[in-house]
Amino acid sequence: MAGKSGREISASKAVSLKDRLLTWEGALVLVLIGVQIFGLVISDNYNAVNVLREMPKYLAEIFMLFGMGYILILGDIDISVGSIVCLSATMACFAGNGGAPFAVVIFVPMIVGLLCGMLNGLIATKFTELPTMIVTLGTQIIFRGIAEVSLGSGGSVSMKDQSGLIAMSKKIGPFPLSFFFVIIAAVIFITIANRSTFGRKLYAIGSNRTAAYYAGIAVQKCRFICYALLGFLAGVCGLFLLASLYGANTTTGNGFEMEVIAMCVFGGIATTGGKGNLIGGFIAAFVIVCLRIALGQRNINTQVILVVIGAMLIVSVLIPAISAAITKNKKRKAV
Amino acid sequence: MEKKSLFKKLTGSREASLVIVLVVLLIVISVMNPAFLSFTNIRQIFLNNALTLMMALGMLCVMLTAGIDISITSILAFSGMTIGLLQKYDVLHNTFLLFVIGAAIGLFCGFLNGTIISRGHVAPIICTMGFMYIWRGMAYVISNNAWASGQDVAGFSDFGKDGAPGPYIILIITYVIFFIVMKWTRFGRRIYAVGSNAEAAEISGINVAATVTSVYMIMGLLAGLSGVLSVSIYASAQPNMQYGKEMDVIAACVIGGVSMSGGRGSVVGTFLGALIIAIIAKALPLVGIDSIAQNLVKGIIILAVVILNVLTQRAMDRQNLMRREI
Repeated sequence: MAGKSGREISASKAVSLKDRLLTWEGALVLVLIGVQIFGLVISDNYNAVNVLREMPKYLAEIFMLFGMGYILILGDIDISVGSIVCLSATMACFAGNGGAPFAVVIFVPMIVGLLCGMLNGLIATKFTELPTMIVTLGTQIIFRGIAEVSLGSGGSVSMKDQSGLIAMSKKIGPFPLSFFFVIIAAVIFITIANRSTFGRKLYAIGSNRTAAYYAGIAVQKCRFICYALLGFLAGVCGLFLLASLYGANTTTGNGFEMEVIAMCVFGGIATTGGKGNLIGGFIAAFVIVCLRIALGQRNINTQVILVVIGAMLIVSVLIPAISAAITKNKKRKAV
Repeated sequence: MEKKSLFKKLTGSREASLVIVLVVLLIVISVMNPAFLSFTNIRQIFLNNALTLMMALGMLCVMLTAGIDISITSILAFSGMTIGLLQKYDVLHNTFLLFVIGAAIGLFCGFLNGTIISRGHVAPIICTMGFMYIWRGMAYVISNNAWASGQDVAGFSDFGKDGAPGPYIILIITYVIFFIVMKWTRFGRRIYAVGSNAEAAEISGINVAATVTSVYMIMGLLAGLSGVLSVSIYASAQPNMQYGKEMDVIAACVIGGVSMSGGRGSVVGTFLGALIIAIIAKALPLVGIDSIAQNLVKGIIILAVVILNVLTQRAMDRQNLMRREI
């Protein structure tokens, strides 16, 4: 049933397979399948076991995807996460080398990340006049600065007692442990975004912040929660990164913020806020990861992947603009 | 017309308060270490920050239209790498022609940015992020991960070596041109108009899309030139050059009072902002703070400046309200 405004009134509508494939997420699934075929064609070693073996390196970043998705849906941005990853991984190493038991070391990066995220959120909500890009630009430099100062002139630290980290990078069958954590996180965060009041509030704030405020949504509280959450997830990313790197240096996590934002945008989450679905971002993340692994196996210059990702990013944001222009033209002709 | 008092002039304008900050900074530093204000030292500050100073001008234009460009250091790397390779394989050694080629590459990259942003209605940060990956990747691809070493660019690097006048002349010329264009030409005022209110600008007959495109082209041109300059100053070209430095350029603009929401900012402010960052970076070791803490101090200063700005703005608004009540 279509109402006067042309929107669907009934809460649930029957969706045909064709309609499902025509959504952005459907298209992404097709792209993901395409990437698998591409991988099989260009490399003989491209099979499930090998892909899963190489995956842990890239999985850590995917944790941040959910938090960043929330932030982008709000219409904000956070470019400090790469530095939070660096700082939290560094602090975890210091805690581990200082003699803390591994059960404590696990929580150190999460707490550090949470604190960093809370600082971001505090500044962003207390000084709403400031664009969040500037706030997080400042904290980006500060967080990495703290890591640099604490790392000292050597600029790197490695975990002395690696037994805990080795346990973390264990495998269950062919699947790495972090793979399950990513899936669990995905289920939780996608459900929150799509099915809970909190999730719908995020979309409301993202599409019109003033209207959301007058509708009685605690806008600043929601923003603060999202920043803190993203910081926490960056800490989790730092922890899992440690499990595959066994140490941290001043360049750890460099450029992660842009990679995560790129995954979100490629997944159809608009930076202007209120649009997109975390499912898309999640699929897009695997598209990029599989593409990296496939190109990596062929020993193709690792930097070529940069060109491919950049091109995909631009094409993916141009498609909606082009299709909008086409439908506009059609309507004009019809009138 | 009401005449402004000297005090108001000083506190009211961003440039004046930046000058005050700069003077206080210089006095404090030279009291702690008199060697700081030597001619060689100042010359080196300008040479080491020539690229930031140069690209900050383009970033000013971009930010005036409420945009942002994070692809600049990738454009720089691509153009610089091309220049380096042209010399490495003995294709070209003419300094002037190399500059022209670098500028042309930058202009083309900027044109792509500008067209996609203005005609395709893509968010500037996303579009330039895409090209950030593409041009950086291209720099690696064309060089095949190799460098162009000091020997390869031997003759060319004389242009930008310490003590040569080349980079300073280029800097002065670009700053003079930008000061005039942004203040007194129709084109410059159009950029401000688009930035303060794009809709109003469109209605009053300004071609907004063309203005936005040209702004990104200017940015690209400056980034391309900076690439050539970088090869000559550092006497080498590697594909990862100036990685991540685009944030320094943005920071310089922000400290210089350029608003990210568009329409506010000036050439003088940008210059002072870039200079303050440069001087602090140079002065830290001289006043006894470990240079490792450079980034920490820089970040704190950026946050402090923008928060202070908000607080003064709020106070001013409150004062204006109170005056109206009486």
